[in-house]
Amino acid sequence: MRSRWRLPLLALVVLVAAPARAEQGVTDTEILLGGSNSFSGPLAFSGEQATKFGVDLYFKAVNDRGGIHGRKVRTTYYDDGYKPQEAVANTRKLVEQDGVFAIIAPQGTPPVVATLEYLESNTVPLLFPFQGSPITRGRKWVFSGMTLYDRQSRMMIDYLVGRRKVRTFAALYQDDEYGKAFLTAFEKDLRRHGLTLVAAESVKRGTTDVSAQMAKLHAAKPEVLFLVLTPGPGAQALRERQKIDWTEVIMVSSGPLTDERYLSLAGSAAEGVEGLSLWPDPLTSDRPGVKQYREHMQTYFPGNQPNRYSLSGYFAAMLFTEGATRAGKRLTREGLVAALEGIRRFESGILPPVTIGPDHETQRQGFWVRVERGRFEPLTDWLSAE
Amino acid sequence: MRSLTLAMGAAGLLLWPWAAPRYFVFLASLIVVNAIVAIGLNLLSGYTNQLSFGHAGFLAVGAYTAAIVATRAPGAPVVVALLAAALVTALVGLLLGVPCLRLEGLYLAMATLAFGFVVVEAILNLDGLTRGNDGLRVPAARLGPWALATDGARYYLVLVVGAAMVWAALNLVRTRTGRALLAIRESEVAAQASGIHVARYKTLAFVISALYTGVAGGLFAFVVGFLSPDAFDVFLSVDFIAMIILGGLGSVPGSMAGAAVLTVLNDSLAGFQNYRPLVFGAILIASMLFMPGGIASAARRLRAPLAGHPRVAPGSRPGPE
Amino acid sequence: MTTAALVHVVVSGLATGSIYALMALSLVIVYNATRTLNFAQGEMLMVSTFAGWTVYAHVKLPLVVVMLIAVAAAALLGWLIERVIIRHAIAATHFDLLIITLGLSLVLRAAAGLAWTHDEFPFPSFFGTRPIALGPVRLAPVSLGIVGASLTLMLGLWALFTRTRLGRAMRAVAQNQRAARLVGISVERVYAASWVLASVVGAIAGVLIAPVIFLSSQMGFVTINGFIAAVLGGFGSMPGAVVGGMLLGVIENLAPLYLPSSIKHSVPFLMLIAILLIRPAGVLGRVTRPKV
Repeated sequence: MRSRWRLPLLALVVLVAAPARAEQGVTDTEILLGGSNSFSGPLAFSGEQATKFGVDLYFKAVNDRGGIHGRKVRTTYYDDGYKPQEAVANTRKLVEQDGVFAIIAPQGTPPVVATLEYLESNTVPLLFPFQGSPITRGRKWVFSGMTLYDRQSRMMIDYLVGRRKVRTFAALYQDDEYGKAFLTAFEKDLRRHGLTLVAAESVKRGTTDVSAQMAKLHAAKPEVLFLVLTPGPGAQALRERQKIDWTEVIMVSSGPLTDERYLSLAGSAAEGVEGLSLWPDPLTSDRPGVKQYREHMQTYFPGNQPNRYSLSGYFAAMLFTEGATRAGKRLTREGLVAALEGIRRFESGILPPVTIGPDHETQRQGFWVRVERGRFEPLTDWLSAE
Repeated sequence: MRSLTLAMGAAGLLLWPWAAPRYFVFLASLIVVNAIVAIGLNLLSGYTNQLSFGHAGFLAVGAYTAAIVATRAPGAPVVVALLAAALVTALVGLLLGVPCLRLEGLYLAMATLAFGFVVVEAILNLDGLTRGNDGLRVPAARLGPWALATDGARYYLVLVVGAAMVWAALNLVRTRTGRALLAIRESEVAAQASGIHVARYKTLAFVISALYTGVAGGLFAFVVGFLSPDAFDVFLSVDFIAMIILGGLGSVPGSMAGAAVLTVLNDSLAGFQNYRPLVFGAILIASMLFMPGGIASAARRLRAPLAGHPRVAPGSRPGPE
Repeated sequence: MTTAALVHVVVSGLATGSIYALMALSLVIVYNATRTLNFAQGEMLMVSTFAGWTVYAHVKLPLVVVMLIAVAAAALLGWLIERVIIRHAIAATHFDLLIITLGLSLVLRAAAGLAWTHDEFPFPSFFGTRPIALGPVRLAPVSLGIVGASLTLMLGLWALFTRTRLGRAMRAVAQNQRAARLVGISVERVYAASWVLASVVGAIAGVLIAPVIFLSSQMGFVTINGFIAAVLGGFGSMPGAVVGGMLLGVIENLAPLYLPSSIKHSVPFLMLIAILLIRPAGVLGRVTRPKV
């Protein structure tokens, strides 16, 4: 019985007796970051890509160059399978047991939102979560990691109503917080132009058939149909349009949907599809940051194909490195937050110059693309919604 | 000797928040919450042979009820929130239990599975109350002038409630009701013939099971602090079934052991990332191959190694037919 | 909504419904032999389909060959699982077996993620997607093809169960294992045959549905619809599984057309509850008296 208590007691003594160090998760030689993410469940692919092949890819390169002010960056991830309660448990373990300095690139609105209050009350920075719900906006310890859904909606509607003179819109959306957040934003932005959605239909995650929804949307005869879905159902909707021969409509995909996987799944049904692209094409873009990303991928993970998820994680690590470098040798959480807030016109070579203001939004742009011969061709320069 | 072990165990549980780091206090609270669900499910499945795939639904009803009471009536003591969770969930259990009387085995499993899905859809649609997809933040539990806002305070709340529920379950299975339930499990026809009102007892088992899970749901809400429909999917129901089968059907200590083992296992495997389900699944397979009947019957065999007992332990009998 | 559109939606529902029916059949086959629900059915289907696709990705063989490879992989997988795991769980109860198949589903899904990543992949289809026009009605060849192929397979199964020794032995075991053993049927062989057969039927369903819902480690979850279909039709009954699958597929597609969005996603489950309340043994199931 006694021996059972010896270890925890010892740990307690060590914890209490430890001298007040500079900051949790930072030693003379190392910075420890961590995150709860999907390594199983519906978002397992994007979770693994964003962390192990994205965030870690950039940090490998940083560490090989000598680290940040001489400190190597180490990361720890736990699987939450997209379950909020497991994200809470994992995040607490990262903060309390592993002693991470900050949380980096967790994924999905429900798991991220479930940990918000805990992280704020423990003053742990939540850096660049891969989700777009505006709920993360304007919080002291949180920096958003994706152009937020309401900004995406404004860019899409303003571009389509303003430059393309479209008047009738419908939406096919996923029946969860991602779809609903977009739907609310669409309705709000259309109202500004005196318009409304002529039809909106929802799709359940893991659906097998979208023909009923598409039939109803077809009957409403919109000029534009927004797709707020994940790659599988998104591609199914495109194929269904082909099956019912519905040619006189522009299909427009949301920012999170506009990626290469969705194109390859839809095959020939993807021709002519438009969308808001949040990232330059990871496979072909010749922007210097994207080229460097591909070179790093070739060096460290030659078997792994470039994609938007790993690119976004790579960008998150790049932004952290910039902030931590600016924060100086004495790295603290307060110092990191101040340094990130102070970033002005930072050249990542991936996105246009990044300026982070007091609202802590790291991205607020996208550009318009159309699928031609199986590739996204840009139709506009960077759009933005201020 | 036995009472000494019990006393030391109790002292250990009481002192835990002083000895263990915060995270393990939190984890211990989760174990107790899961153990309450497992006991509740076992009272239904282990004692009356009705397998439920919908207990995540009951957990959700309890969790949301407690959270809504705590949000709408900010001063209300936690006892009120938990009582509300218990009563509402028990009522839902009654409403589901009566029609399910006619169902057996797989049909019952499917009806309860459907119930779980319908609960999640209801949460999504009653967004005025539940905040739907956005998720519901749960305020700290209150006990008179105190807010139970630390891990230690929450742990003691969970521990006290959990102890009461275990005590009640242990007594219940020793009473007339418990014996009636066991008789129903062995043979409904025989039970009916010996004067047991089968329908009444089966409904009762449903209600009690729902009540246990509802209370656990209320505690879950306060321990986790955030509710969203994604938390209560069918896989959670399946986890609960795994807990009672691994622990041992028809055994209260078995339920607790199964809940503890699977909760700790799930937590400690999170760092395995994409290997987690692989290892977890392999452990499930191996334990059922080498420990049929679960922990409870393995313990029974250990205690009586020479008696040459038949392999079939009381907790294990042919399943859904 | 025009009638033409309605016809398209119903045919599309029949197509997914016939896949559900195949999944229901594979669940029923294992259930009839071993009296357990096979939680891993969906993952076995997914792994077999991946096996076929892997060969296709390296050597562009005709699709028929791809399907045969998937079927062979499925047969091997079903045989291995029965031989290595299920047969050794002789002392285990049906509840224990349930947990074993649950563990198997986790293992297979994670292993597939490690082998092929958790990405989604396009899968080649036997049937084109260009619609066939019949007057104003547009019918997708893929829907018709799926229905046709499934019906053919169902006929084959019917012949197997009524015309062959093995099929009759399987039915005998399903009815009464002890009696079957007494008349000299090798129950162990029937067990093995059931697992192999169920796995093969699943693999064909997988190859048919993969072009529609795409190939991924998560695709096995579609089998939950097979469970529902099997119960709708009366678990254990094979014609019931077919009727239940078709019914589910069509109703799932009609519900979004006519019902408010707040309940349309619950319709399959509400329908399941309703049918169980009216006919507790499913549409075509028989009510059995409990034995003493």
